[in-house]
Amino acid sequence: MTDQPADGPSSPPGWRRDFPYQAAGEEEVTRREFARYLVLGAGTLAVGNLGLAAWTQLRTINQGEPRPIVAADTVGVGETHLFRYPADDDPAVLLRVSADSVVAFSQKCTHLGCVVYFEPTEDRWHCPCHEGNFEATTGAVLSGPPTRRLGRIDVEIRSDGMIWAVGREREG
Amino acid sequence: MTVSRRGRRSSSAVLIYVIILMAMQVFLVTVAAEAFQAYERGLAWATAIVSMVLFAVAALFLRYLRP
Repeated sequence: MTDQPADGPSSPPGWRRDFPYQAAGEEEVTRREFARYLVLGAGTLAVGNLGLAAWTQLRTINQGEPRPIVAADTVGVGETHLFRYPADDDPAVLLRVSADSVVAFSQKCTHLGCVVYFEPTEDRWHCPCHEGNFEATTGAVLSGPPTRRLGRIDVEIRSDGMIWAVGREREG
Repeated sequence: MTVSRRGRRSSSAVLIYVIILMAMQVFLVTVAAEAFQAYERGLAWATAIVSMVLFAVAALFLRYLRP
């Protein structure tokens, strides 16, 4: 697109013919007014940020109620099991580390929320979206763009032979 | 009213500062949204405070902008 007149110096530019609308006083905006609009916009965004902070502070965090996930003997050592915790729209995954030890994490990558999966050959959680990697038992960041470790879910093997999720790690 | 070249140049500089501050505000909104998603209250409040400071600085710059 160009501002050069199509038919000569006195004719309007081409974009004006394509968009033949004129706001009242659009020729009269001074740089001070323009800057004022920008500052007003910045103020609106600042108020929005303040509101988001207040909302973040006040929102209740669902830490989850203890509940059985899966029978322990159906998940072999080094195997994973997908489940939902604490709510039905929170994907999570547990890993049987040894005969008497399990760990579980939110399946959402802390970078942009892609689903992570376990790579047994590398012994790590891997996010295929941006090549983020997390340590298998702690969820700590090994490499890639994530800066926060995976959200941990506390799990335990109980005497009834079930693996129980007993709550999500408290954050913030 | 005539405006000297130096005055016009400083006005342009102020305007550019305000535009940069506005761009930083937009970035901070994305940080605040990320903090909200991750339940990171400390980060959310830090973002809000920085955002308010940037707004105050932008408003201060406005005082020095020539008409």
